[in-house]
Amino acid sequence: MIYNVYHKTAFEYQSNVTFSHNLARLKPKVTSYQKLLAFTMEVSPTPFESFEYLDMFGNTNTHMLIREPHQSLSVIGKSTVEVLPDIIDEHVNSIKTNSTTYGDALKRLSKFNMNDLYAKQYLFESELIPYGSLKIKEYALMSFQENRDVFEAANEFMTRIFNDFEFLSGFSDITTPVEQIFEAKKGVCQDFAQFAISALRTIGLPTKYMSGYIETLPAEGQKKLFGTDASHAWFAVYIPNAGWMEFDPTNNIIPREQHILLGSGRDYNDISPLKGVVFSSGNSNLSVMVDVRKEELISEKTIAQEESQIKIITTQEQNQSQSQ
Amino acid sequence: MQIFDSYVSESSFDEVYDDADNIRECWKNIVNNIENAGLELLEEKQKEIDWHLEDNGVTYNIYNDNDRPANRRWGLDPIPFVIAEDEWKTITKGLQQRAKLLNLIFKDLYSEQKLIKENIVPAEVIFGHKGFSTEVFNFGYKENFNLYFCAVDIARGPDGKMWVISDKTQAPSGLAYTIENRLTMNVISNDLYPDVSIKRLSSFVEDYKDMLKHLAGGDMSTAALLTPGPHNETYFEHAYLSSFLEINMVQGQDLLTKNGSLWLKSLSGLKKINTLLRRVDDRFCDPLELRNDSRLGVAGLIESMRENNLNMANPIGSAVMENIGLNPFMNKIAQYFLKEDLILPQIATWWCGQKKELDYVIANISTLIIKKIDRTEHIDIYFGKKLSPSEQENLIRLLKLYPHQYVAQEEVSFSTVPYYEDGKVEPRNAVIRTFSLRKNDDYTVMNGGLVRMSASKDNLLVSSNGGISKDLWILGDDSSNINPTHTLKYTPYAETSIDKVSTLKAENLFWLGRYLSRSIATTRLILHVIKKITNFYRYEVVTSKESQRIIQNALTHMTMTYPGFMDTTNQKNLDVFPMVEITSVIKDKRSGSLALTMDMLSNTNINLKDFMTLESWKLFEKVQKEWYEFISRKADSTIIVATELDKFLIYLMAYKQLVYESVFREQGFILYEIGFQIEDALLLISKAKSMLCIKLDKSVGHDVLEGMLNSLESFNAYRAHYRSSLALDTVLEFLVLNKQFPKSITYIADNLLKEFKLLPKAKKELTSYEKAIIQAQLLLESMDLKILLKTKEEDGVYLELDKILSQLSDLFLECSNEFSNTYFSHYDE
Repeated sequence: MIYNVYHKTAFEYQSNVTFSHNLARLKPKVTSYQKLLAFTMEVSPTPFESFEYLDMFGNTNTHMLIREPHQSLSVIGKSTVEVLPDIIDEHVNSIKTNSTTYGDALKRLSKFNMNDLYAKQYLFESELIPYGSLKIKEYALMSFQENRDVFEAANEFMTRIFNDFEFLSGFSDITTPVEQIFEAKKGVCQDFAQFAISALRTIGLPTKYMSGYIETLPAEGQKKLFGTDASHAWFAVYIPNAGWMEFDPTNNIIPREQHILLGSGRDYNDISPLKGVVFSSGNSNLSVMVDVRKEELISEKTIAQEESQIKIITTQEQNQSQSQ
Repeated sequence: MQIFDSYVSESSFDEVYDDADNIRECWKNIVNNIENAGLELLEEKQKEIDWHLEDNGVTYNIYNDNDRPANRRWGLDPIPFVIAEDEWKTITKGLQQRAKLLNLIFKDLYSEQKLIKENIVPAEVIFGHKGFSTEVFNFGYKENFNLYFCAVDIARGPDGKMWVISDKTQAPSGLAYTIENRLTMNVISNDLYPDVSIKRLSSFVEDYKDMLKHLAGGDMSTAALLTPGPHNETYFEHAYLSSFLEINMVQGQDLLTKNGSLWLKSLSGLKKINTLLRRVDDRFCDPLELRNDSRLGVAGLIESMRENNLNMANPIGSAVMENIGLNPFMNKIAQYFLKEDLILPQIATWWCGQKKELDYVIANISTLIIKKIDRTEHIDIYFGKKLSPSEQENLIRLLKLYPHQYVAQEEVSFSTVPYYEDGKVEPRNAVIRTFSLRKNDDYTVMNGGLVRMSASKDNLLVSSNGGISKDLWILGDDSSNINPTHTLKYTPYAETSIDKVSTLKAENLFWLGRYLSRSIATTRLILHVIKKITNFYRYEVVTSKESQRIIQNALTHMTMTYPGFMDTTNQKNLDVFPMVEITSVIKDKRSGSLALTMDMLSNTNINLKDFMTLESWKLFEKVQKEWYEFISRKADSTIIVATELDKFLIYLMAYKQLVYESVFREQGFILYEIGFQIEDALLLISKAKSMLCIKLDKSVGHDVLEGMLNSLESFNAYRAHYRSSLALDTVLEFLVLNKQFPKSITYIADNLLKEFKLLPKAKKELTSYEKAIIQAQLLLESMDLKILLKTKEEDGVYLELDKILSQLSDLFLECSNEFSNTYFSHYDE
């Protein structure tokens, strides 16, 4: 499955910015089940200089300095990604076979094991995701009994979030506390991912934040409009003896051929697509536009045409929340 | 023996007396000296110490409830902590070993992580500690990624050995206090301890300079000390160290990054910095990659390290070693890296992340001290024996929930030393801060240290927040050669040329001028308005009501506290109770108010702390204190308000004089002058627009003209100059066009053009800020008052005059903006 992903992030500033440092993370991660066939990044205004490096989580970071007076900054990542569902199937089967019980998993994690070492950095509180309260812990433990298989339990846990929580955009943003999401039982994909991560870390399982995209299809018979997709977020839990297993609680599915991974980390802060430090007075607005589609459906030319039609929509969409 | 007769220690180890109550060899001289001197001399020496410390401005800022820092004086005991030469040799070896180990751990954690992979240190102790910076992942491979300077706190345990209490690795403080303590002790020790010879500190400071010089590639002007700024609790130390080490002291706002390098902004342009001595904590250093709410760092700092263009002492990431979770594994680490046992023992420590240890801790919780391994955000310490059963239960629940985050330590009683207070000598617990420095791939240890004591006799905890300190004396002759130029001497750091003045300082000087001018002008105008109100019935002339209104409106215009007196919806109230609005313009924190101007003035004053003399500091502190008392009071009578403002005005004038005496031309005094004059011109024009452009009948006009001159403190000057009664055309001539009167717009414009030529970026061709003033000059020259004041009866306003004044105001503002862009922004360099 080959996808073309278009991801545009733009800052609009109230007053002129003369000097800004920015960090972009828009280059999709290469994994055993995902190939990056092509990637370009377009930045306007043109950076004075830029540096690229891999961070500890394996994500590509691009540091850009902009030194000409500007009132808006736009960064567009265009990637062509091949997702390999066969390999994912193999991986999932292997996980199912090797998965252990929750009790055994905790026992093994409490000891030294070479294979588990790097999973352990996802075991702790992070800037955006604190450990959950006793209530959250109890909610998680309803699926994770000592003798229960971790894969089975996590799968059920995902389904329970899907059933118990209502998808509602506009209720939350990236900083809404996990406890509040749990109390209200509503939110969007990033809230469900963060809630799941907090709950699973609280019960002692390493869990990481997965950021990327999901292919959406228009209603039957309708043409898909350009730029109507959004970023997506889900989680991956570490099962000792088996490996990392991904779950998408927003859609109640195990990611297979519709999910495209951008990057992963302890939470959103490790992989936010664009952040910057500017010297300016006044506020800034952020707008995001994402388009994901299978390769055969679109050519470069139509992107340019449709982009100009869609302008009005994007200027109205000015918050950072990922609303898929 | 008298003084020490009442000295009885209950601790299991006392520094002075051994178990048989005999004085230990190394203390004999000191105790004899003190007994010979007697309590009176000891008290006298204590007073001498206090005076020296205060005179040198040694402070430690403590934040009080109002978030305003209160400078706390530093305390030093006249009795030193004494250690014999032989024992110190062993301790030195132990400290060198520990520094070496900490460096090996540091480099390994940010490169191969063998300690984790080979099960020497549990991964949880590292990944669960917020000091572990993923951002500098793999930096451990870099040659310059080392622990250059560290502090280790030690104290003597019950077995008589020195134990390690904790390690300070990211930006250890205390060195400057140690040096100042020693310099102060030198003053009294000739009288008090004439026959005691001790090791000196100067070679350590020389080593420190050499290390920085080596890192900077030989040129110390490319090194800088990064301070969080004057609000920081140890700012005194930063200023002091930058002086001793002979490097620039800078704040985040002084710097920017480009070309993957760090640059210092100065009046003459950008200068590359390749070595940073860092006193800002790890997470606050780079708002791009680390905490984005921090204003103490520089965006792109980590990138400069990544590109190998910056040395940092210590590098970001070093906070991970301020980690008591490492303690239980230190011996294993020493074996792993050095095949040695730890020389200095540590307090027995159990990491709760292991089942056996956790069980032990829970079973013995009443006798243990429980701490979090991570102190980057909070310092949580629980004394098991002080907890109630339910508190113990809660703590145990926490330990079971997050075992990785906790350690337990044995409660240990440390040794006592004699301490002088209130006419007697008492035993107190003490902790010693030692300092180690990287030198030729090894570490050198300072022959001295900072001793801190518990606040009271019964208190076992030694606080790190200032308090009482002691000097640490290592007995013995100093074998190091003393180079007379290498003696320790503190001279406040001073800029040597205007080219080198940092942009931040320059900008603050400019704004100091503007805010000081604004505070003075605002105070004067308000005072005049108040006097107008209180004298309303004095002269039996009813017409003054109209002039009062005009002057009140001028106040609103000048301070831009709109709607102010022009609030048409509230006109009745404003007429009957003008003091309500006036008090609000003085005391409320609203845009343009005197209170807000005063806040901004305080801010610029603090940022220029190292430029100002002690006198101006003392004055400003007094002004601030009385000012805040005044503005937080409610319902002052009109007379009281006027009296307070009178006093405040005199303070401001005195401060103005002290600024004039404090700041040298080389430090950029001219920037202050330029700021002051631009503000003066802008405020004068504003007042002229509201008071001199309205056509008034004679008696009202006289009142207003008098007000205009009085608010500039220029009435006498005018009379001396014109010897005539007040007339609009002569007042205008005086304040706007006069070439001799220093407050006139024309004089200011001429003077600014002269001063601009003295600045580093003065050019042969005209700069944009010069152009604005030249245009103003042309405009002023073209003014013909006879024509401007000819106006048709029904207009009521001198429209042409008003128009020209507006244009002048715009030109001075443009000058100010262009000036800021040229000297303070640097974006296009």
